[in-house]
Amino acid sequence: MDWECCWDRDVVEWGQCPNIREGDEDLLSSKQRRILEKCCDCERFKRDLSRFRESGHPLAPVFSLVHNEFQRQKNQIQSLASFLDNKSLEVRFLHELGSVLQSSVDLEEVLSVALTAITAGRGFGMNRAFLLMTDKERDHLQGYLAIGPRNFEEASNAWEEIARNDMDLQTLAQNFRVTKLSAERAKFHDILEQLSVPLSHHDNLLVRIMDAKQPVLIEDAFHNPDGDPAIAHLLGVDTFLLMPLISRNRRVGIIIADNCITHRRITEEDMRSLETFAFPVAFAIERAALYDRLQLELNRANEAGRKLREQQELIVRMEKMALVGRITSSIAHSIRNPLMIIGGFARSMLKNAPQDDPKRDFIESIVSEARQLEGVLDEILNYSDALYPTRDFWGVSHLVETVTRDLQHLVERNFSYSLNIPDDLPQVYVDFKQLSYCLRSILNATIDGRTDGHLVIRAHTDGDLVDLAVVDRERSVTEDELEEMLTPFSLVQDMRSGIGLALCRSMLEKQNIPFIVVAPPEGGITYTLKLPTRKEETP
Amino acid sequence: MSRLLIVDDEANIRTLYAEELADEGHEVVTAASTAEAVDKLQTGVFDLAVLDIKLKNESGIELLQKLVKERHDMPVILCSAFSCYKDDFSAWLADGYVVKSSDLTELKQEIARVLAKKAQRSKAGL
Repeated sequence: MDWECCWDRDVVEWGQCPNIREGDEDLLSSKQRRILEKCCDCERFKRDLSRFRESGHPLAPVFSLVHNEFQRQKNQIQSLASFLDNKSLEVRFLHELGSVLQSSVDLEEVLSVALTAITAGRGFGMNRAFLLMTDKERDHLQGYLAIGPRNFEEASNAWEEIARNDMDLQTLAQNFRVTKLSAERAKFHDILEQLSVPLSHHDNLLVRIMDAKQPVLIEDAFHNPDGDPAIAHLLGVDTFLLMPLISRNRRVGIIIADNCITHRRITEEDMRSLETFAFPVAFAIERAALYDRLQLELNRANEAGRKLREQQELIVRMEKMALVGRITSSIAHSIRNPLMIIGGFARSMLKNAPQDDPKRDFIESIVSEARQLEGVLDEILNYSDALYPTRDFWGVSHLVETVTRDLQHLVERNFSYSLNIPDDLPQVYVDFKQLSYCLRSILNATIDGRTDGHLVIRAHTDGDLVDLAVVDRERSVTEDELEEMLTPFSLVQDMRSGIGLALCRSMLEKQNIPFIVVAPPEGGITYTLKLPTRKEETP
Repeated sequence: MSRLLIVDDEANIRTLYAEELADEGHEVVTAASTAEAVDKLQTGVFDLAVLDIKLKNESGIELLQKLVKERHDMPVILCSAFSCYKDDFSAWLADGYVVKSSDLTELKQEIARVLAKKAQRSKAGL
């Protein structure tokens, strides 16, 4: 019998077997392998087999039976191999995904990876994915992020770009996060806004799926009694997959995926693959969200620690101030009483001394010196009072009125002043007592030693500050004199003006209030206090 | 003529007050401690008391509280080396507060003011 197939030849020439192609050259001389790999599928062999059956040989039916069974098993093996290949790809993908998800605590990165994985061709290959997250504080499920094209043109551009760049999942997700995350969020803003439902609405489809903790494929959503036409209408598709994200029994959120562009059928297998993927995603999202909260709490704790340290420093400072206060009080008591006795008796003696008493000049000197020392003592006590200011909101008019009322006795001379304080000034945040002292000291320094003159006290708003100024257009001082006026105890021999202005500067510095004294060469002197209208964070 | 009780632990201050206030026409009785003051208050009638706040280990504020409770018709002026007690609530019980000074003008004016006020109240039958 002449056989069509080459199964009976030990060696065949190139071109004699139609099934041997490039790469199969070794089969030309390997008869056994050629029969098993090629001949069994060859049409020529099947025809030879048919002729063999027709020959009536008793082994022919048996041979056909064995051949059919061989073919069946071979197909089954090929199918299993294909399934195995797919599963290997899936495992490799999940491994890649898991590596990224496990190593990241950045919520944006986790979300980018998760949504990219769902929509990437080498991932689950869905067209669009929407992520809704639970807001535990509001007890709400809210659209958070979405990814995917809105039309076919956008889709083909995106797929071309992905195919051109041939990126792995991590690079793809990174690229998405850096270049597209904000744009995608804005693109789907309208849908995400509407994908909002209170978690207490247990009859809502999305909440129901989360409560059930099982993925569901919704088909024919407009007519499906288990579906939700409103969601289908919002998404513009009637078939979509709902994948709850559950981590340790906590409802993290839900993913909605669809094939709005390709309309490829979503299979049960797609759903099961996504289910495998949902758990690490939910866990990673929860972990990243917890990490975010942890960072927030850590920042709060650091901030609280910083404030605590500031408070501790403040307490230490206050304790030191209290000590200074106690010392100065003690000094006051120790010095004031003897001074009072010396000065008091001197005054008493002076009162009773005849006008022509030669000792009268000496007694007058004692009275004068005692009075001067009492003044110095008052200044020192005021200085210790100034070490720690107590601030509150006060009206500028009230402050100026209080001070000028006290000064009536000084203006009994030919001294006059005018006030220009608008009624609508904001309140200022100052230590009233200290600021009164400062203003009084400025006025005293201006009036002291003069018999006449005119002052202007004016105020105006300057942003968050109120500028309070005392303007004396008649007085001239040099730069050196100005510096001496503002330096504590620089003129101890002349305590009539006291250490007033220097003390003012010290007091105001402690309240962070700029004190500007301007004395131009052409004459005049202007004292300006820049008073805050807002509470500062730091003392 | 008014009868004044001066309470101060400094002998020289008591002498100074006594002389100066006597010149103003007042009859002045002095005490160096709260115990002495209480003793003098039990044996005599006074129109006004001037109290120092720091009396060695005693407090003029405590004496003030006792006087307000037991002798509410007698006004009290606190006279202290410390200006800080002006802000102390308990010092507000006093009818006047003067920071010690070699110039007794302020004290004399305060005594005059408080006595005038007391006279007004008596006149009004309060």
